[in-house]
Amino acid sequence: MNEQKEKKILFNKSTLLSLKAELLKKQEEIQEKKHLPQHNLENFKPSQSENKKNKIEGNNPTKKSLKDNLRAVDAEEFEACRRSKSALEKKAELYKHLTEGAGNSQLASNFLVDFKGKKQEALSKSEPKLEELEKILPFEDDDSQWTEFTDFLGRTRKCLKSDLEHYRKRDEELMKAMTNATKDEELDKEAPEPPQQPEKPFLVQKTNDYLQSLRDKWEQQERELLAKEKDIHYQDILFDEARIHGVGYYAFSTDETERRKQMEELVKRRQDTLRAQEQAEEIRKKRDELIAARVAAARARQRARAGLPPEDPEEKKKDFTTCLLEFLTKQKTEADKKAKEEEEKKREEKEKERQKFREAYIREWDVGKEGTNSNVKKFREMTQEEYVEQQRSKRNDDFAPPQTANSVKSKYSFDTRGNKVDSETTKNKSWSDVRPVNIPSPPIIGDISATQKGLYFSTKKDEIVVKYKNFVRAEEPIPINNELSDEEDSGMERNMTEKRKCDSGCIEVEPPPTYEYYGPTSKQTRREKPFTSDLKEAMAQGSKSLEPKESTRQLPKCYDFTFE
Amino acid sequence: MTTSEVSYNRKIISEDLSNVEFDTSEDVEVIPTFDSMSLRDELLRGIYTYGFEKPSAIQQRSILPIVKGRDVIAQAQSGTGKTATFSISILQSLDTTLRETQVLVLSPTRELATQIQKVILALGDFMNVQCHACIGGTNLGEDIRKLDYGQHVVSGTPGRVFDMIRRRVLRTRSIKMLVLDEADEMLNKGFKEQIYDVYRYLPPATQVVLISATLPHEILEMTSKFMTDPIRILVKRDELTLEGIKQFFVAVEREEWKFDTLCDLYDTLTITQAVIFCNTKRKVDWLTQKMQEANFTVSSMHGDMPQKERDNIMKEFRSGQSRVLITTDVWARGIDVQQVSLVINYDLPNNRELYIHRIGRSGRFGRKGVAINFVKSDDIRILRDIEQYYSTQIDEMPMNVADLI
Repeated sequence: MNEQKEKKILFNKSTLLSLKAELLKKQEEIQEKKHLPQHNLENFKPSQSENKKNKIEGNNPTKKSLKDNLRAVDAEEFEACRRSKSALEKKAELYKHLTEGAGNSQLASNFLVDFKGKKQEALSKSEPKLEELEKILPFEDDDSQWTEFTDFLGRTRKCLKSDLEHYRKRDEELMKAMTNATKDEELDKEAPEPPQQPEKPFLVQKTNDYLQSLRDKWEQQERELLAKEKDIHYQDILFDEARIHGVGYYAFSTDETERRKQMEELVKRRQDTLRAQEQAEEIRKKRDELIAARVAAARARQRARAGLPPEDPEEKKKDFTTCLLEFLTKQKTEADKKAKEEEEKKREEKEKERQKFREAYIREWDVGKEGTNSNVKKFREMTQEEYVEQQRSKRNDDFAPPQTANSVKSKYSFDTRGNKVDSETTKNKSWSDVRPVNIPSPPIIGDISATQKGLYFSTKKDEIVVKYKNFVRAEEPIPINNELSDEEDSGMERNMTEKRKCDSGCIEVEPPPTYEYYGPTSKQTRREKPFTSDLKEAMAQGSKSLEPKESTRQLPKCYDFTFE
Repeated sequence: MTTSEVSYNRKIISEDLSNVEFDTSEDVEVIPTFDSMSLRDELLRGIYTYGFEKPSAIQQRSILPIVKGRDVIAQAQSGTGKTATFSISILQSLDTTLRETQVLVLSPTRELATQIQKVILALGDFMNVQCHACIGGTNLGEDIRKLDYGQHVVSGTPGRVFDMIRRRVLRTRSIKMLVLDEADEMLNKGFKEQIYDVYRYLPPATQVVLISATLPHEILEMTSKFMTDPIRILVKRDELTLEGIKQFFVAVEREEWKFDTLCDLYDTLTITQAVIFCNTKRKVDWLTQKMQEANFTVSSMHGDMPQKERDNIMKEFRSGQSRVLITTDVWARGIDVQQVSLVINYDLPNNRELYIHRIGRSGRFGRKGVAINFVKSDDIRILRDIEQYYSTQIDEMPMNVADLI
């Protein structure tokens, strides 16, 4: 309002009177104009579109009658249109500038309208609402003062409890506005609503309505499901899920009798199809036979014409090579079959054993259940070997026998010179050697198969080998695959290799086939496995392993028995 | 899963399993087609009409052992058909003429239990199978009525199922198979007790099947307590992330910037469907409100909502009516909505397993997916850890991310 003081407007009684007269006159004019049909809001059309319409209407007759005038008129009108448009644009820009600048602009003094005052007026109206809105924003606020309500549009809104009444009122107003069909009313009452685009609520309402109707539909479906004592099928619980099914998908009816009918129809059609396929196949076969017969007859005729004796179809086919081939393939398939059967048999046996074990196994969580054998002890009885193993694993390493002595660990064992030690001599030394070959499996046998199944090429005999972990530990210290290496780090090992070298002249014993399972479990040794039978080859391999590692990795493919 | 994951290392099992590496069992047969699995005709029909044509790697390996009655531990990448794997096996081993509960499937969330029910009913549509979702938050009376009606399969959450068993409404004498979906979650501290409670009511030596995308070592260690000589089909963790799911991060300096970033991404979100994960229910509520105030259409779901509301949100999302869902880890595991192609970790998950599960909500059954992680500067370390752990790649988000969806 300071602005008004700055701008001095001189006035006296007469100017006031004339101003009032002018005002009354204008008001009368407005009143009059308001009643004109084109000023009714319903009949309102934006000026621009009116312009265009005029243009089109103006053009059409001229087009028909005077083609020459057409361009001139067009250009004239276009020019006028352009001018008015640019003027309007300028005006709009100016107005915008003034309202935004609100008095700060130097231009403001040129106009009688108090833009600043106007702006403040507008702000004072809407400000409290903005404040109210902002209060909702922070999510940390205490829940107790807040309350939720669902408004007319179905939105869940949060507000202070004290403000609930006010918001409800506004909601009602909004509802009235929305239900009234006339657009102007809607726009009027929309104005006090929080800042939103005028079209949005309508869209929101539409989608909300749709969602609500969907929800209602689903609820209805669910209620029906609960109400009826009937089977539930996929269609009953699909609830409009947007899922892509297979090509053969068929949405059955949710009605039980209808569904049954459809199912029967489907089955019938399927049978029909199958029958048709069969028939077609039969017809085809017959036709083929017929054609073959005709061809044969034609050939016979030809031969007869040429004076040759009738051919014997069987004899012609069987020449020597085909016979041989047939014979060989027959034999081969038979051998394959035999091998397969044998393998299958072996596997089945193993499987049977495992099955037996599985049946005997009692899970920890099952202990004490009714069905389990009542005489089953709460603990599992260990075999002697297992007990020994357990005790050994508990043993403090400091009290263990010296490791060098321990490197003798199984039936197939070596003395320090690398000679195979006769199992009879060591028999009394370790429990593992006492162990019969076919003892029942240990409790966790998930890996017996691991030692049984030969996915690697191996000359190893197929034997059930039970392995306990402390044996693994014991054998780790002395990997034998480095036996030919010159640069051992442990002196003891060097001694061993030297001794070995001395002896190697007289005694040549290949490592036992089971070595790869008892020896250190590195992949290298496994790969070299196929060569252990040939000492020279083995030496070559050994020296190869001394070369940089990259080269060892590139074994020829035929020797690489690991799987991709 | 390629054959490379089925490795043939020989390992020795001993009582102390903490240092033992578990591997895929050796004698796992691979069956390349559904036709050659000798399944019943009606089931085969159901499989094909549901949209499966060729079995996925896990399906090729696991279905037969389960049908044979073996205990199975099956692991496979997210969205490769694990649910269908055990569903098919269940349906194959059912006796539909016997109107009693023969299989019990337990899962960690109600939505997942309902989804499993749906899958079983879909695959068994031609078999006249009855499957009930026995979950909390529903009417007890209805549950009892449904169970009394006779259900072949019960898919549920542990709490309600145990309740039903104790009330002797759910009779366990005919149960021959227990399936634990998301097994690692089910055998975690929170659930293990409940699983034990349920297990104690089952006949001894019931067939047990464990299924999950993630099976940490601790879980594998304890399986001998309730499984007999299980067949394992496992995936190495560096092969656990799917090629089809591209992973990105957006570095934000402060927490507040995440919201602006999300708003900027909104247009990308709505290309198909998107899931946004927050770490707390409160944050879900807050973010939902903020998005709505900024005039973005989003829906939200978390465990504190009434079940009715949760159901409705799920239905809306599944039907495609809502496109952006803000949620907690209640949605992280197992939920399958085909059209979800974008996952946003508004907060990084609390553990590595959850990361796999969360990003696995997109890229379902061979589809493409994108995961975007919002990371504050101190979070980048965590993300790098995840990246390394799974030997995967998480790049900075490119400008054309919308093209990847």
